[in-house]
Amino acid sequence: MKVSGKLAEGSDEDDESLILDFESDSDVIDDVDNESVLLGRDNDVNDSSDSSCYESGDLSGNYLGFDQREKVLNPGFGDNTYDDDGVPKLNYNCLTTDQIYELMVSRLERIQPIFQLSYGDIIVMLQKYAWSEERLLEDWTEDREKVLVACGLEITKTVSKSRGIQNHSDFLCHICCESNKQKTFRLECGHEYCVECYEHYIKDKLPEGKIITCMSCSLALKNSDIDEILGDNSSQTLMISSIKGFIQKHSKHYKWCPFVDCNCVIQVSNLSSLSEFPRLHLSPYVVCENQHRFCFKCGLESHSPGDCQVAEQWVKLAQLESENLNWVLKNTKECPKCGVNIEKNGGCNHMTCQSCEYQFCWICEQCWNGHGGGFYECTRFKKDEKLGTAETKNSLRKYTFYYKLFSEHENSAKLDWNLGLTVEQKVKVLQENIGISWIETQFLSESIRALIEGRTTLKWSFPVAFYADPSHNLTKIFVDNQALLVSAVEDLSQLLQVKEPQNIIDRKREFYNKARFVETRSKALAGCGRDLLCKGICVPFQ
Amino acid sequence: MSRAKRVMKELQGIKDDPEAKVDLQLVNENDIHLLKGSFLGPPGTPYENGKFLVDIEVPMEYPFKPPKMKFDTKVYHPNVSSVTGAICLDILKNAWSPVITLKSALISLQALLQSPEPNDPQDAEVAQHFIRNRESFNSTAAFWTKTYAPMDSVSSGETSIDQAALYGIDRTLLDQFVSQGFAEAKVVEVLRRLGIKSMDANDNESANKILEELLR
Repeated sequence: MKVSGKLAEGSDEDDESLILDFESDSDVIDDVDNESVLLGRDNDVNDSSDSSCYESGDLSGNYLGFDQREKVLNPGFGDNTYDDDGVPKLNYNCLTTDQIYELMVSRLERIQPIFQLSYGDIIVMLQKYAWSEERLLEDWTEDREKVLVACGLEITKTVSKSRGIQNHSDFLCHICCESNKQKTFRLECGHEYCVECYEHYIKDKLPEGKIITCMSCSLALKNSDIDEILGDNSSQTLMISSIKGFIQKHSKHYKWCPFVDCNCVIQVSNLSSLSEFPRLHLSPYVVCENQHRFCFKCGLESHSPGDCQVAEQWVKLAQLESENLNWVLKNTKECPKCGVNIEKNGGCNHMTCQSCEYQFCWICEQCWNGHGGGFYECTRFKKDEKLGTAETKNSLRKYTFYYKLFSEHENSAKLDWNLGLTVEQKVKVLQENIGISWIETQFLSESIRALIEGRTTLKWSFPVAFYADPSHNLTKIFVDNQALLVSAVEDLSQLLQVKEPQNIIDRKREFYNKARFVETRSKALAGCGRDLLCKGICVPFQ
Repeated sequence: MSRAKRVMKELQGIKDDPEAKVDLQLVNENDIHLLKGSFLGPPGTPYENGKFLVDIEVPMEYPFKPPKMKFDTKVYHPNVSSVTGAICLDILKNAWSPVITLKSALISLQALLQSPEPNDPQDAEVAQHFIRNRESFNSTAAFWTKTYAPMDSVSSGETSIDQAALYGIDRTLLDQFVSQGFAEAKVVEVLRRLGIKSMDANDNESANKILEELLR
């Protein structure tokens, strides 16, 4: 491990001492990559340095980490710290708690020779030291006896009874005060209690994620003891709880995916590039294995074109104003013509009343005629000239206007998400009925992804518009861009409502074009929004 | 059920060991869920010569979950609420272990009276008093012990408890305002509210504040 050893000394990126070694390993690799770019070396050098890591002993140790990393690095291997759009590169892995634990365990082989202890003992020590090898090694070299006692691996008094489950003919347990117990458990300390009591005790402690000790003293139960008492792999629960605690403590490197019921953890390895983002009014977006896209800095969903500050201010404001706006959040609207209550069940804003067949726009509740064309009037806030004096009232109106748009698109995005699920079914139907290959149906899921991303961009463009100076020319351009994206998104959304499978296949090209158009428009809007932020036209304060 | 057996055994254990000077009894013979414990104030402390009663509630999961304990006797102590008797002690919370018994928990409470932990207070007002003026705190705590925790449990007739001593308020300060015609109870209430226990004779600012509150 020559490369890593040499560079590890020089890498001072990690201001926090509590990091895992395998993180600094990937940091090291980044360094190699960067360096090679600076020196004008070609990619072969990178490859060989990677493979030298493979060969030099930690094959088993790091294969998972490498696997993940390659996935991230491979697209665009012309490697430098910025991609084409001037966005700083962020190297990250998507892991689950099980994978993180596996990684930790896979490290054991390497550090075991230092301690000359069993794996079980080392796991207990790592748990005590919150999985920080560095801190553990530091204390270990200073005073190994102290570490052993603190971790509950040794006791000062030497009792040395045999460890494990014991068999008796008639044992009186002091915890439950039952006699006639046959099976008991004890550690070397000799504090012996019946297995049932131990089971109960351990089960209570597992979710806490801390070292479980003997009920009477500080001697630690190892994973093998826990498995012996509770059955196979029960200690896994404890380890996972412990890892969860670890993630909480190291929120700089690790973030839970904020989406409901998603168990992914994102680990960012090159923290230094994180600091680049705010300066450029960009946000470090990451995508988990379930295709959830979120901001690694603030933990919100993708909020482009706004930066984290816009998002934060907006969310704060939304919390403050939510009382006033409860009515906005209602899910139904009355048909402007006949007054029938209509529930929106798809993402498209082009509504057709089921009873009177009146076509209208969900957002402005005006006739749909005129919406279908190039422009989409309702993204523009018309300043109320008459009420110019009532400043606060107007600002609330302004906010209400934008918030309404924001939440409309939020709801639409949610519905589109559901639409995506039905699209999956459609894909299946297409495959089965018409007999086309899986790859040929991918345009559908691609379109839905473009639609959702377009909507998210659109949604977060309203906070930017809200905070931007409305008199500035760039703001006007921004609003025009917004309108273009709205119509692109609505077009695509409407297209996705098509139910007839044959019809879908026939219009494949249309799907492609509209999805591509949404993507270009989203990008343009995001760029325009960033311009507003960079030039100080949009300042999120109030 | 292990809980019943264990509690019965603990009761027996306390009977068999009168030396510990700890007492434990069921509130109701048919219910092992509620108990009353008592112990003596540790000698050499303001709690000396006091007998302290503790309400104990044994949860279903006992001994795997700690028993709920609170003082029935009023105690003037930084880690005990002077109003509710709630106790702040780690072994009754996260440091609980199934090997701890009700007896050892009661002995721990005794030790808590011996060595208060004012930096981790349950009752902030009492803890302030403890930190700022130890001597005055001691006399107040001793007064509470004498008033609320008399050894021979003869009710000392709670008719006339010295309010000044009860709240550790300087007698002359109290008298100063009482002599101006204010009711004693009112003066005590205001002084407690303002957190003033004693006052420099020349401290006109505080005196004015007290008067203002009294005249409100």
